[in-house]
Amino acid sequence: MKFTILFGGKAGQGVNILSAILGKALTKEGYYVFVSRDYQSLIRGGHNFNVLTFSDKPVYSNNSVIDLIVAQDDNTITLHKKEMKKEGMIIQKEGAGNMYFAGRLFKSLCLDFKILERELKELDRFEENMKEAKEGYEEEKKVACRVVSNKKKLTFRNGNQGITNGAIESGIDVYYAYPMTPATNVMGELAEKQIEKNLVVIELESEIGVMNSAIGSAITGAKTMVGTSGGGFDLMTEALSLTGIAEVPVVIYLASRPGPSTGVATYSGQGDLELARHAGHGEFPRLVIAPGDPDECEEITSQAFYFSQKFGIPAIVLSDKHLAEGTYTSDRKTTITPSKKLTKLGRYNSYEKDKFGCATEDAEQIKKNVDERIKKWKEFEKETEKFEGFKIYGNKNSKNVVLFWGSTKGAILDAMENVNAKFVQVLYMDPFSSKIKKEIEGKNIILVENNATAQLGKLVAEKTGIFIEEKNKILRYDGRPFLSDELNNELRKRIK
Amino acid sequence: MTDTNINTPIAPTWCPGCFNFQILAGIKSSLNEEFKKGRSKDDFAIVSGIGCHGKIFDYVNLNGINTLHGRVLPTCLGIKVGNPNLTVIGFSGDGDAYAEGMEHLIHAARYNSDFKYFVHNNQVFALTAGQPTPTTEIGYKDKITPLGVKLHPINPIKLMLSAGATFVARVYADKPQIEYVFKEAMKHKGFAFIEILQPCVIFHPDKGYKERTYSLEEEKHDKTNFDAAMKKADEFDYNLAEKIPLGIFYQKEKTVFEDNFPQLVDLKKKGIGWSSVKR
Repeated sequence: MKFTILFGGKAGQGVNILSAILGKALTKEGYYVFVSRDYQSLIRGGHNFNVLTFSDKPVYSNNSVIDLIVAQDDNTITLHKKEMKKEGMIIQKEGAGNMYFAGRLFKSLCLDFKILERELKELDRFEENMKEAKEGYEEEKKVACRVVSNKKKLTFRNGNQGITNGAIESGIDVYYAYPMTPATNVMGELAEKQIEKNLVVIELESEIGVMNSAIGSAITGAKTMVGTSGGGFDLMTEALSLTGIAEVPVVIYLASRPGPSTGVATYSGQGDLELARHAGHGEFPRLVIAPGDPDECEEITSQAFYFSQKFGIPAIVLSDKHLAEGTYTSDRKTTITPSKKLTKLGRYNSYEKDKFGCATEDAEQIKKNVDERIKKWKEFEKETEKFEGFKIYGNKNSKNVVLFWGSTKGAILDAMENVNAKFVQVLYMDPFSSKIKKEIEGKNIILVENNATAQLGKLVAEKTGIFIEEKNKILRYDGRPFLSDELNNELRKRIK
Repeated sequence: MTDTNINTPIAPTWCPGCFNFQILAGIKSSLNEEFKKGRSKDDFAIVSGIGCHGKIFDYVNLNGINTLHGRVLPTCLGIKVGNPNLTVIGFSGDGDAYAEGMEHLIHAARYNSDFKYFVHNNQVFALTAGQPTPTTEIGYKDKITPLGVKLHPINPIKLMLSAGATFVARVYADKPQIEYVFKEAMKHKGFAFIEILQPCVIFHPDKGYKERTYSLEEEKHDKTNFDAAMKKADEFDYNLAEKIPLGIFYQKEKTVFEDNFPQLVDLKKKGIGWSSVKR
């Protein structure tokens, strides 16, 4: 079974809380849940909606057909009724409190009231919420779906929480940021835990301040991380180049949204792969890794700390709004890569330097420094080959290959049915695994990306000499994520 | 005996007669005072920017970083957050502090992180050969300003006072007062802003400033009086003025940035930085 609910309303009405309550409750009952957020750049009013898909089998994305609409305003019905199944159900009452909807929803899914009560206990305003919830629960008479508990142990978190957990598991000491959607929640999650976990979270005047303060902390030996989105990352790039020459370990979380410039501030896109790979002037090694789900967010953040500490390099963890703020269930146990603190305070320099740490213009010394950086770069590249630079799903022997990266993973995994293909997810963008070429060579390659110019496609061409046919590029660049059923259709059209 | 030699084997490349030599001597002498008190080189970190002033990093053998143009302040803050036990000293030029790095300067005064900040103000971009900075006087001419500078210079002393800086001072590079002010700055808990008026022998020689300066200390200026400090700051607008006050304009105690975080207070108590925190 697979069941999809759309929660719609004005900003401030609590669409997020509603979908989170149900998502958490379903996860505890052993169901797989995926929640995506669609919200506008405003605080009150407008139209926000979350889409929750759940199933007794793994699910990592939404599909295009809605089974149930929870409408906190009439506008939600106007906008979304056409997406609903004919036999679909609507829960609606103008002006009712948020938990009234929770009550009706839980009842319509045949979930015991105690399950809802358990979730309400974790929120403020327990008494008022209970009253509203009871009213809704008693009022609802229709059954939308029968949810029966099972004993699966599952986690429920979004990409930003995966990043946060990865940073904590890696022993982060200092996190700097300037608020920017969709990275901001990492700052919030870490700040909430800063006393308990003994780390410090600091908001500064700009991303320029953020990156330079991070360098200051990192050279004292603190494990340091920053977080931002594309525009903020742009401001960091001069200092990114400084980490290159001074060999300073900083982990950078880059959560993309559609650009150029302010673009579409609260929507999703994969337009910053080339930015992450090329930002900063001069030639220096960097790590760019792109997780595809919250578990990978956690694991990859720990790998970013490992490589940045071991080689004194910047490590960029590249996600996007869909992954950062999409909530997923998982039954997988994650693997953390432990990292030592290897940086000591010494004499660092933005110039080429001599053995005293002083600026130099000496040709021999410059060449020696560059050669050492290149040598380190090679060693670093070699070591990344030991890690999972890419993952393979589906039919390993198929003559069709579906190539993808990052947050498209969810829709891809849910779109695999009846698609005879080998699915290749690229995680390490820089360094790029030398083993990928033989996985895709001579195959009918289909590319799936959330951007307009096929940036992974260009990277693959650069690294392997393999060019993907234009007609085989499935690109979405309207700020929205792929939906699994639509993607399945697109894939099947291109399979040989 | 602990090594307190802070000389490097590098010969300074400042111009002959450059006032940076006096500043370097003043800094070294106040550092040596600290070593006499039993502190070691490892207790310090220095940060410089880009420009003539930035070369000071090459002539003082202490840990730290010769960082980007304009980014001395956030780097100093980061070092303090990384290890609040370090005595951190930042050096900037007027281009560094007042042009490219202005956003950080205002916030540094507001944050009140516990580090010292010396601005070598020669009122010109010297290392790029003489372009005007935000404190260059009206009428100054160079290759890129054949019509002469038309803009009013900013007044960094007034700016720092209004931004909430807790130690605001100005000295002249070759006056003995520099040692007294440096010593007081080293003792200050919080953000210490010290501007050093420094002629550039090539592009911006002293235009009769030196004779017009006088000491605030000798005049018994009350450095706890904010209004009096603002009045004194008004006397010199960085154009040619009758009187140029030097010394400590203002000093007050305020919670330092690091003390707002119990985690950092704990590091101070333990005398360690994050690098020694085991997890």
